[in-house]
Amino acid sequence: MATDTTTKIALAGNPNSGKTTLFNELTGSNQYVGNWPGVTVEEKNGGLKGHRDVVVQDLPGIYSLSPYSLEEKVSRNFLVNEKPTAILNIVDGMNIERNLYLTTQLAEIGVPMVVAVNMMDLVDRAGDKIDFEKLGKRLNCKVVGISAQKGKGCCEAAEIALQYAKEGRKGEVPHVFTGSVEHAIAHIEESIQGKVPAASLRWCAIKVFERDADAIAKMGMPADVLAHVEGHIRDCEKELDDDAESIITGQRYAFIQKLVSECVVKNEKRVKGVKLSDRIDRIVTNRILAIPVFCLSLLAMYWLAVADGGPGTYFTDWANDGFLGDGWHLWGTMHKASTPKDAKEKLWYDGMDYEEATGAFEPHGANVEKWRDAYKGAYDEKKGEGAYEKDLAAFNEKNADPSEFEVLDEELAKTVKADVWLKDEESGEIRSGKVSIAGDKISVEEEDEGDDLKWTCDYPLYKASAEVGEPEASDFGVWVPGVASICGDLCTRFGIEEGTLVYALVNDGVVGGVCTVLGFVPVIAIVFLFLAFLEDCGYMARVAFIMDRLFRGFGLSGKSFIPMLVGKGCGVPAVMAARTIENVRDQRMTIILATFMPCGAKTVIITMFTACFFREYWWVAAAMDLMGVAIIVLGGIALKKTRLFAGEAAPFVMELPAYHLPTFRGIVTHTWERVKAYVWKAGMVIFPACVVLTLMMTFDWGFNVVGDDLDKSILASIGGWIGWFFAPLGFGNWQGAMATISAEIAKEQATATLAMVAGGDGSAAANVIQLFKGFVSDERLYKFSALSFLLFNLFVPPCAVAIVNTFKEMGSQKWGWFAVGFQLFVGYVLALNAFQIGSLVVTGSFGVWTAITILLDLFALWMIFRPSKKVN
Amino acid sequence: MPLSMMDVGAKFRIKTVGGNDSVRRHLGDMGFVEGAEVTIVAEMAGSLIIGIHETRVALNRELAQKILV
Repeated sequence: MATDTTTKIALAGNPNSGKTTLFNELTGSNQYVGNWPGVTVEEKNGGLKGHRDVVVQDLPGIYSLSPYSLEEKVSRNFLVNEKPTAILNIVDGMNIERNLYLTTQLAEIGVPMVVAVNMMDLVDRAGDKIDFEKLGKRLNCKVVGISAQKGKGCCEAAEIALQYAKEGRKGEVPHVFTGSVEHAIAHIEESIQGKVPAASLRWCAIKVFERDADAIAKMGMPADVLAHVEGHIRDCEKELDDDAESIITGQRYAFIQKLVSECVVKNEKRVKGVKLSDRIDRIVTNRILAIPVFCLSLLAMYWLAVADGGPGTYFTDWANDGFLGDGWHLWGTMHKASTPKDAKEKLWYDGMDYEEATGAFEPHGANVEKWRDAYKGAYDEKKGEGAYEKDLAAFNEKNADPSEFEVLDEELAKTVKADVWLKDEESGEIRSGKVSIAGDKISVEEEDEGDDLKWTCDYPLYKASAEVGEPEASDFGVWVPGVASICGDLCTRFGIEEGTLVYALVNDGVVGGVCTVLGFVPVIAIVFLFLAFLEDCGYMARVAFIMDRLFRGFGLSGKSFIPMLVGKGCGVPAVMAARTIENVRDQRMTIILATFMPCGAKTVIITMFTACFFREYWWVAAAMDLMGVAIIVLGGIALKKTRLFAGEAAPFVMELPAYHLPTFRGIVTHTWERVKAYVWKAGMVIFPACVVLTLMMTFDWGFNVVGDDLDKSILASIGGWIGWFFAPLGFGNWQGAMATISAEIAKEQATATLAMVAGGDGSAAANVIQLFKGFVSDERLYKFSALSFLLFNLFVPPCAVAIVNTFKEMGSQKWGWFAVGFQLFVGYVLALNAFQIGSLVVTGSFGVWTAITILLDLFALWMIFRPSKKVN
Repeated sequence: MPLSMMDVGAKFRIKTVGGNDSVRRHLGDMGFVEGAEVTIVAEMAGSLIIGIHETRVALNRELAQKILV
């Protein structure tokens, strides 16, 4: 890049030495910081604070300039081939020996370098002393101490690097090698002088000495020169009785050991004592306890997030019914109702709390609602379709005090009777019990007698109930209106009527769609909070270690589990994190499998379905995660037995960060970043999608408003075309089809779409239950249809963004399609099982699809259990 | 003796590192060179967590067998 004159300062260093923290500090960016390999997999650029023309580059962590995995190659190529103007080498002060190994290599490539010893706050606290002056003298470069976390000394270090960059100041190469090695390298330098850039002469000479085929090929070294120096290398190897590469590594470490003994004084007590971190490791990675500890932490997370009575549910209910729904009582202001002193009449709910009062009102509300419906029907039947509305309007015009509902025909009213049920809003089930009426009070005694609870509401009962006023929310505390009620008020104020497009956009698009998605913020916030804790405390790398044994069983390294855990948060970084996997074959397999781990957005679908259909089983969410792991394992076994993926996994070598109590700030930042992204997506992706869906639901192909007859809408007709694909899964109508298809935009869209197409006038959950009951011919099957929908949406290919990234990371169309095809197969078969086998068990009906399901299962089992292919 | 056969808590000096070239290079880059001092921090079914140069490195059993102390 000869023409590029931009000053570039590259941040290079070992993994987890604090490069990204420093990068954020220097550029004011907000890149994701983590302590596991794979958190930074590509170079990131940012302008240096105060010098916006200077580019700071964050690189994936490396142990040396000989790359081991894919993302390390990015760093090596950049440093060695593209060459930054200067290098800021970050060295972890708590682990200075291993970190300086890379420093000795960086010093040889001929780029101005400043060494920043990071984590000085920890070094000071530990009582170690580092002599920067002496260190700098021996390494022939400037060495400074910084603390990226605390922001100390960072800008100063960058300023020095910038100065070096401008001056192009290069230190002498430090004298790392001794005796015959130095002798041989000097000989090689002589031979290759003039054939390689003068600045990196030493680097090239060492690569020739190591017989690094890649590097030599890049230099274009003539064969005769290589043959000439081979003798020197052989002599040296013979003398030291080792191969050239090991000699170089060994001498580097010998040099560093001497250097450290001269420049660093370590606190003896600290070095000798058994660290707390090690004690924790003995428990967490214990052969018996390891897996239970992992499962328990998952369970704990879901208990917090979705269990009935857990904190997550409390906040979710508040978000859905309060903040986004009708409204809520400001915390701490809630009290029992008491009749105001100036009131003429005593409140019927005097002395009750809000819950009691609404509960007591419920049967009255049901009476009124059902009877009015029956009355309207009877009126229209008597006087013709639409007569009631017309007559009511005429009546209201004549009367000074227009009322919403008016009994226009008293005689008729006396004959009208309505059947009234009490429906349990949550489960949609009919609550059984006995109704007794005394005065204006209706009481329901709970009695378990099946679903024959029904009472008849006649005119006198209706009148009695209609007189019982709905409890005024503000009598129980400070009432804050929610988004839904505000939207409703706005519609009324601006005269937006039901049935118009604007009304549909506000009520279906915003309230029905976007608010459904936003209602899950408490759940995903808890999941993200928990993940942030696990990540920051250092557990991630341990889980990879624990899983290694299990994964090795089907030919993957435990390292592959890290992308999968990352996938718990989001599938996109998950497929990218697969770059840390050493060989391409295993990387591809990891990409295919990683998104089976239900991500944050899928957790939203799980939560909705748990709340609607499996409320008594809060652990369904955790079970879905374990199912994700199971599918990863079984899918892995099946894939490994194909010729495409056969072969041993790379050996497991991974550095484990020391455990530490995560900082409050760190965890909150991580959680906030992800929650923000989720809310942002609700606005930028879900909202437009809901608008489009609303339009498609409002109009038919001729752009006529369809009104209540949604089946004529554009959405329904498109859904109808593809419904056949989902029919064997138990949700083959347009609603199920469109909810699934729209979920490819973003998985949480499924919940929004379901809420929109469900419509209805009950609670959101009741509407969705009703919707699913409509999906199946036999009502007993609706839970299987729901389970099938859930499984399908969790385990088919991830959302569009993740699919695009899968293609990108795979690097070829063929592999991208393979991944998508495999995921689709897995999701379809799972859903098929849920519905078909469920139907078989419950109804005993055996059809063509039952047979196909069993055949597909047999095929899957054969894929998993057949003997593996021999690898040559 | 291979590292995989040692007791938790014990301290050793590495004699040789085996394995194929790329793995050996990678181990070397992480500090597993002849003469380096290592401690066994924890063990799980033959897989080890090794303390080396003040860091913790996890190795699977096959690999731990190739490091002789």
